[in-house]
Amino acid sequence: MQDRIKRIYVPMTETGFYILFCLQNEMHGYNIGQRVKQMTGGAVTISPGTMYGTLSKMEKDGLIRFVREEEKRKLYVMTELGREVLEIELHRIERLYKNSKGEYADGR
Amino acid sequence: MADRILFRFWTIMDYEEEEQFLREQHQKGWRFKRYLLPGFYFFDRCTPEDVVYRMDFDQAGTGEKPGYLQLYRDYGWEYLFDVNSFSYFRKPADIIEDDLEIFSDNESRLEMIRRIYRRRMIPLMIIFLCCVVPQLIIQSNNWLDRGDVGARAFTLIFLVFFMLYVWLFVHCGRKIRRLRQKYERDV
Repeated sequence: MQDRIKRIYVPMTETGFYILFCLQNEMHGYNIGQRVKQMTGGAVTISPGTMYGTLSKMEKDGLIRFVREEEKRKLYVMTELGREVLEIELHRIERLYKNSKGEYADGR
Repeated sequence: MADRILFRFWTIMDYEEEEQFLREQHQKGWRFKRYLLPGFYFFDRCTPEDVVYRMDFDQAGTGEKPGYLQLYRDYGWEYLFDVNSFSYFRKPADIIEDDLEIFSDNESRLEMIRRIYRRRMIPLMIIFLCCVVPQLIIQSNNWLDRGDVGARAFTLIFLVFFMLYVWLFVHCGRKIRRLRQKYERDV
């Protein structure tokens, strides 16, 4: 089950990646949207319909979990499975980055 | 009451045209107030303004609605109401372009098409196959066997239903294909 989830989620979409990345800390949907906009200088925006759908799906798949509610806003945080998925994805991105700069695993 | 009543026919797959129609009305100075019935619009007079309308189909689960609407409000959307499982939102268009969409990637647009298909089209097909078609066969057999007025009337009624359903499936099928092509091209 968990391996299946990892296969489905990696490689991640930009929306998925940034949401999971932000949820290393407790946050609610709009917070995440604002944070992502700042982090990427406006290059990545996540609209409410997409935000709601992605959060629901990630919660269902066990990557994030609901923590508490604050004035009708639901706060989420990453789970252990979410952390594993994020780590796999970060390694993948690192490899892509190194390779693109001419750094290869075999040193040639 | 409202300042103006309009009728316009649309099906569940024509939501993009519906959004555009409501925006154009608002630009002309007619603010959408509510439906009398789906298709019958009540408009109020207002100062002409460019206001974007958006519809989301049945995303929030039971008990999730307050949080769902709060998220849209945080993003600056005014929530109007739910009709036909569509949630209606609007927002003045004088903000940068990106903020005028409720979906920021094509995957979530395609997901909405899938939701409409699962929750509307499949139930309609079941009604069609399990009710309209058998009834049409039964009633037309009665007409042939007995030829009474009741059987004739029912045959004609179910024939009309049959044609309406077939038309609806053809129309919606085409729309679904067109929307999918549009959004799958650059996923």
